[in-house]
Amino acid sequence: MGGTESIENKLKDAVKDLFLKKKVDIVIGFEKGSLPLTSRPCFIRSSDMAERLVWNASCTNNLAVYLPRFFQKVPRAKKSGTPPPVVGIVAKGCDARSVVGLIKEKQILKENVVIIGMSCQGVIDRRKIESFIDGSFIAGGRQEPGGILEITTGVGDKKKIKVSDVLAESCIECQYPHVENADVRIDGESITASDDGYKAIKAFEEKSPEERWQYFTDEISRCIRCYACRQACPNCYCKVCFAEQTLPRWIGPGDELSDVMIYHIGRIFHQAGRCVECNACVRACPVGIDLRLFTRKLCMDVKELFGYIPGLSIEELPPLLRFELNDNNDFITTG
Amino acid sequence: MLKKADINKFIAAVMNNGYKVFGPVKQEDGVSLSELKTTDDISFDYFNFILPPKRHFFPWSELLYKYKDKTIHEAPLPEDKTILLGIRPCDARSFSFLDNVFIDDKAVDPYYQNRRDNTIVISLACNQPLPSCFCTSVGGTPAGKEGTDILAYDTGDSLFFEECSERGSSFLKLYSKFFSTPDQADVQAVKDFIAKAEKQVLSVNIKNAAEKLKEKFYDSVWDKLSFRCLSCGVCTFFCPTCYCFGLYDERDRRIRVHDACMYKGFTLEASGHNPRPTQSERMRQRIMHKFLYTVENFGKIFCVGCGRCVTACPVNMDIRENIVEVIG
Repeated sequence: MGGTESIENKLKDAVKDLFLKKKVDIVIGFEKGSLPLTSRPCFIRSSDMAERLVWNASCTNNLAVYLPRFFQKVPRAKKSGTPPPVVGIVAKGCDARSVVGLIKEKQILKENVVIIGMSCQGVIDRRKIESFIDGSFIAGGRQEPGGILEITTGVGDKKKIKVSDVLAESCIECQYPHVENADVRIDGESITASDDGYKAIKAFEEKSPEERWQYFTDEISRCIRCYACRQACPNCYCKVCFAEQTLPRWIGPGDELSDVMIYHIGRIFHQAGRCVECNACVRACPVGIDLRLFTRKLCMDVKELFGYIPGLSIEELPPLLRFELNDNNDFITTG
Repeated sequence: MLKKADINKFIAAVMNNGYKVFGPVKQEDGVSLSELKTTDDISFDYFNFILPPKRHFFPWSELLYKYKDKTIHEAPLPEDKTILLGIRPCDARSFSFLDNVFIDDKAVDPYYQNRRDNTIVISLACNQPLPSCFCTSVGGTPAGKEGTDILAYDTGDSLFFEECSERGSSFLKLYSKFFSTPDQADVQAVKDFIAKAEKQVLSVNIKNAAEKLKEKFYDSVWDKLSFRCLSCGVCTFFCPTCYCFGLYDERDRRIRVHDACMYKGFTLEASGHNPRPTQSERMRQRIMHKFLYTVENFGKIFCVGCGRCVTACPVNMDIRENIVEVIG
């Protein structure tokens, strides 16, 4: 990952410039995390705070998840005369598509968001790194030029691992790493878009219904219902989630497998035509459930049936928000 | 002393005596605390279990009673004789904290108490603390004995067993044929081991946290602190000492299920009023509860420093930094 440091400097300068020109009130970016080889969301409120920003392969979160909260109080703010803030957001390709999705779903105001488009080279999957340092843990680590991670293991060994060998699956299969709708662009080398499409999903579709059901059952039965997958997702902004409604109560709160499954089926189906495949749910899951496979199947269906890619264009309406006479209706069965 | 090669025989004998043994079992995504089907399942190749072991005494979702034919049928009390093997000292310590809550002078939770009474805890001292560990800052140590019946030290080829409770000692007597007497070198190895591990644990300065927190209830620091938080419940589900639960009536039964103070529905009242309307109040509650309220009620900080909340948090909310930021 050549030159993340120079990209980091360019980012800092760009953010400072935005503040100096009074173009933003706040910028959501990444700072160094508290554990080795981690970054975490941070909120920059002035040009001197911009020094905290980092940019590297551990900037995993989809920061768009924080955007709706800045606009939730807009009606009240208008009454009191306080305009909503202008929010800058450091965005990878997927994050920027989330921002566009939120604009289309009217959760945020387009004119109040400044997308700082990063040249994305993909982010790391910590679980993959751990499998590289057999049985040990990440005691220290930093990213060196040339896309190399230098890891210090729990037993004090130093190991060099290529970022490209430990990329998250979602990044390996990413088809749209480029930020289409950037207001400010930070140039640099970018990951190559994959044309792999949906090979893994197709392979899963080939399996028998029993095998697929078994896989779904095995994965979902590990769920502890912490709802981190929902909370980390920019698309999950509902004020009250169906999983927690009590009048009526759609699903029971306990560990009945059917209840857990309905939560997940509900969550996954609500992503149809909206999921940008940023992998936030997968990363947030503390027990490592393969949520991606299921959500991605819907992404593939929407793409194949309606030719729609969520978040690429601000103007194009999602399939669930529009109706056309020639819409695909193969799923309606008669007789 | 017990030779590692002989542990299978020891465990097999325990299982033959009718104990269910839960221990470290190698699985696809790491070693988890699971029921041993055969003695070959044991793996000592782990740092700590992903999920906290509180679930063995206080399950995530538990049936309390069923309604049938206009009568209430209480769930039978759990009677299984159980061994928890390989619990880390931080987690073992959490058991003694939970005892304060569930086995109180005024009220006893019979389900919890029965499970505790029927369980022997054999913990395994830590030889390799993680970057997220901070047990020594909250009163524990990598070789702590609180909440455990027997503490084992992994000295390489062997395990050194130390009795920590009367129950543990009478249990070990039954199996004395498997054990040899430790020699001077073994004792020294254990001492070195403790000293080395303790040095590696990160230290956090939270001196007088409870006193200082008393002044901070209305502080604006909570707004700042909680802004990054996503209000998911991972930290509470992964916490070995979080014990809040909700009661739910389903069609024919009443269950209790772990709840999380990070959820906005946690304190939502029937009127629609919520005394903790934003994440700021909820974050304050989590930290105050662990570092002030439990100190007032039980004389203990309800954090064992296992670091699970630190590593599992999707946005790296680090309770070690948070508490320091609040108390300044």
